[in-house]
Amino acid sequence: MALPLPPGLTPSEVGFLCEMEHVTVIPRQTLDGLELLGGPTGALKPPLPTPLPLWLALLLKKQRRANITPPPWLSVEALTQILDFETDERTAELFSPLPDLPPATTTAPLEGDPYLAHDSLELSAPFLKDAATARAQADALPYHWLEIGHLLITHAADDFDDLDAVRKLLRDLREVRMSKLRKGFEVLDAGGGVKMNGVGGMEIAEVRGFVGGVVDGLRRLNRSREESRKERETEERENGLGSSSYRDDEDEDML
Amino acid sequence: MAARLRGRPAHAPGPTYLSYTPNGKKLITVGVNGALRVFQHGSDNEPAIIDVLTDGHTAVASTNDFIVVGAEDGSVTKYSLLTNSMEEILVRCSLPVRDVSLSKDGEWVAVASDELEVKVVNTRDMTRIMHLRDQSRPVKHVSFDVSGSTLAVSCTDGIVYMYSLSSEQPQLIKRVDGLIKTLETDVEASAKVAWHPDGRAFAAPTATRARSDWQRQKAFSGGHRADISAAAWSPNGALLATAGVDKSLCIWETRSQRLLKSYDDVQNAILAIDWHPTDNVCSYTNNNGELFIREDFVPGEHAKHLRIALQPAPMNNDPLSEISGNARKQVGNGDKPNGVRRSAEDQYLDDLLGPDAMSEDEMDFIEDDDGAGYAEETNHVGKRTAVANGGRPAKRHAPFATWNPQVHEAFQPGSTPWRGDRRYLCLNMTGFVWTVNQDTHHTVTVEFHDRQEHRDFHFTDPYKYDKASLNEKGTLFSCRPSSQTQQRAVLYYRPHETWTTRTDWRTQLPAGEEVTSMSLSESCIVATTSKGYVRIYSLFGLPLKVYRQKSMPAVTCASWRDYVITVGNGSVGGDGTTRMLYTIDNIRRDELCQSEDVVALGEDTELRSVFFSDKGDPCIYDTEGVLLILLHWRTPGQAKWVPLLDTKTMDRLASGRKDETYWPVAVANNKFHCIILKGSDVYPHFPRPLLVDFDFKIPVSSFPAGAADDEDRDAAQQKNLEEQYVRASLQHSLASDLVDNTNATSAQKAEVPVMEREVDKALLQLLAAECREGEERGMKALEIAALMRDRTGKMLEAAGKIAARFQRDILGEKITQLAERRLVGLVDEEDM
Repeated sequence: MALPLPPGLTPSEVGFLCEMEHVTVIPRQTLDGLELLGGPTGALKPPLPTPLPLWLALLLKKQRRANITPPPWLSVEALTQILDFETDERTAELFSPLPDLPPATTTAPLEGDPYLAHDSLELSAPFLKDAATARAQADALPYHWLEIGHLLITHAADDFDDLDAVRKLLRDLREVRMSKLRKGFEVLDAGGGVKMNGVGGMEIAEVRGFVGGVVDGLRRLNRSREESRKERETEERENGLGSSSYRDDEDEDML
Repeated sequence: MAARLRGRPAHAPGPTYLSYTPNGKKLITVGVNGALRVFQHGSDNEPAIIDVLTDGHTAVASTNDFIVVGAEDGSVTKYSLLTNSMEEILVRCSLPVRDVSLSKDGEWVAVASDELEVKVVNTRDMTRIMHLRDQSRPVKHVSFDVSGSTLAVSCTDGIVYMYSLSSEQPQLIKRVDGLIKTLETDVEASAKVAWHPDGRAFAAPTATRARSDWQRQKAFSGGHRADISAAAWSPNGALLATAGVDKSLCIWETRSQRLLKSYDDVQNAILAIDWHPTDNVCSYTNNNGELFIREDFVPGEHAKHLRIALQPAPMNNDPLSEISGNARKQVGNGDKPNGVRRSAEDQYLDDLLGPDAMSEDEMDFIEDDDGAGYAEETNHVGKRTAVANGGRPAKRHAPFATWNPQVHEAFQPGSTPWRGDRRYLCLNMTGFVWTVNQDTHHTVTVEFHDRQEHRDFHFTDPYKYDKASLNEKGTLFSCRPSSQTQQRAVLYYRPHETWTTRTDWRTQLPAGEEVTSMSLSESCIVATTSKGYVRIYSLFGLPLKVYRQKSMPAVTCASWRDYVITVGNGSVGGDGTTRMLYTIDNIRRDELCQSEDVVALGEDTELRSVFFSDKGDPCIYDTEGVLLILLHWRTPGQAKWVPLLDTKTMDRLASGRKDETYWPVAVANNKFHCIILKGSDVYPHFPRPLLVDFDFKIPVSSFPAGAADDEDRDAAQQKNLEEQYVRASLQHSLASDLVDNTNATSAQKAEVPVMEREVDKALLQLLAAECREGEERGMKALEIAALMRDRTGKMLEAAGKIAARFQRDILGEKITQLAERRLVGLVDEEDM
């Protein structure tokens, strides 16, 4: 029998993965570039800020060889602004959006132009560069916001101007968003769906077990109804009638 | 301003008044208790106190040397500011004094009391008194105009009486009726006339009036809901501060009569306002015995109003007001009241003779040519003198002041002024040097960014070093000469590491010479001095060279290896300020790279910093936030300043929400390193802020950042490519200059072809964009192809491929032709 792990990433795995995100570091001593599995790192030359993977930055931080610059979205103003967005009545249904995607790299006018298509891979959320460096967008929470915020607050506390305020805002944000997620799942049944745009990796990992259980249970309860519906559908199809607007299956699959 | 506004309890609660001395060094307050307080400007120390016999003071006026204080017991007393003691009682009235006003030369003091007459007393000879008796009611306020020849008397009957004091017998020249309100002498509301510094207009609570024809000119309206209790023009007349009894405080712009700012944190009614003569500081006292010294009084975005030269008063139909929008220094010439205009020669004479010679105010244009003395009394020498030392108030009139070129102050790049008791002496990419003032001595701390390479150090500094320069090799300090201890100016160099015992050294400059700026490079030490010398020492203190700078006085200097750039004040430009000239010198080879070339700065911009980039190119940063780099500077006469980054057009400021400026630190790794200053800060402060870096962006064109629709985004991308092309060509020419002119390392040599490829890459992308646009853009595409730097033909080949891909066959043919011609050397760069 395989490991009794639930499907998908567990919170600790997400927490581990977020350490690959780059953060901006202000080195306190020189260090040549390192050839690492995750790619080469830049040479450290004080006081030039350099992006480094979070795990390496935390290591250097612990050895007091570097300071970490918190990303712009981890400032009091930015977090307050995002929290305002989350708690505003008009946008109460929404999560604050993820950072803007970079402009598409494939701008080929004629499809499949090999010259201009440097790499046809368009990156999105967890793979974006500069999500947590000093160049990050200030008014949006990136995919790994909760994990990075937590790690930086714990291990690089002295690099924050107003640590307590940041910590409080992060906790507020987490609670607001979590309650939104929970509220969304109240309406979950066979036909329900929750729009989860902008939800971070850790948040998904945290609610996955609960939601998966609920949805599975509901499905089991509704199995007989579903089967009869499917039968009816096949009948209708055989009778040549176009299937009516049943999108329930797709929505559920998305979770 | 971070600190909360806090009143300084100056006197016992009650009406309090203040006055700045004309030189701005002292601020005097008087109140109900029997003491006067003398605050030193810019110091938080306890004020000096002059204990006096009178109490219930109602007015104060000051010159640099003495103050005149009026009290409720009717006495007007003169106190010396030099000794902080009473000198004499100038005049004694039978009823409370309400206001005193000093003429600008301090010769005459006008006293308003509850008596019917106004007394004008000579401050040196109290027996000489003029009595003004035309008003029918007690007088509330008196006010001398700038020239001191006209006195405005605000009477409680609601009429302003204008007296001419140019002759010994004062004459009433005008009753201005219906201007001010009828007020009792002891109410808080004011009817005081505030003369505009250019002397042509005055403001009174209700309106402005021009003095030439006594017509009402412009009104400042809409700011106060109750009576005005105080008003004051800024020293250059560009702004007007007013306070109302409704506890409001407003700043107005003179030119447009626009309300610039209204303060709502006033607790008590303000009774007196005074601007500091030079700084952006305004002080006021209220009826509760408190003094408020408001620094940064004019908000940052309007502070420029304070720095500009004298502004003309706002007049209807004023020919000057058409051009007064620009901040050029103007020689104001007011219209004559009766149409007598001065000829050009007169103006010229005035300029030659100085302010007092013949530049009469418009009121008394009569020339006393026959010496009969009908226009004025001759003084005891029997002659009119240029310096008014008796007889009458001087006719000093600001618009006719002698013309003085504005000289750029010397500064040390990377240093900040004192704030509190500490300042940075040097802040750069190696580390930072800061000093703390401990009154008897300073303590200097040197910290490094790289803690492994160098060890931070700290020492007690009895010399009070005021300049420092830091690099990888050592630290250089200098101090001012001191007259008290007979200490001369000293240069002190402390190397970080040596292989013998520590070899720090000090050298004294000749007596009377002062270091104005200095710089430390890897091979030499440069100091510019107050005598105009450039002194160059080796790192071990050996004087290498002394020469006199051609453009003096020196502004600043910087050095990199053997190259030294010195900046000095050159000839005077059209706007009355000197042009800054720079010279770049190679010390080792004794060659002038550039001689007395112009530091290209726009109008009204100042040099903020001069430094060398990490590749050794001179850079400047100006107050407009533009970073410029010097191109082709190794060839004499070829240098030109190229903008690398205009910080005002950066994307992060595009939202308009951020109010920040940047303090330059360095140009390194093709980035601009700076410190972000929030709000109206000009210098970084403690704790040390983080360094921030920005990519270069040559201001080629401006486009809205974050454009929404695709079309805009395409255009933005196109502009980006264009900027990339210009930037790459600039970097290419910087790199090839370096390689051509010096013994470049192989890394530097390798950089030139890399930059060349960068240029061509940008061009290829531009070409692709043009091809995409359509067949009709072929001409432009061919032009782009012709700009390719590459000589091997590979890039043109690539260009041909792009054209083929977009099926632009004609273009492809032409590019192939071009490539072929280039390959056989037919097309020279000159021919294209």
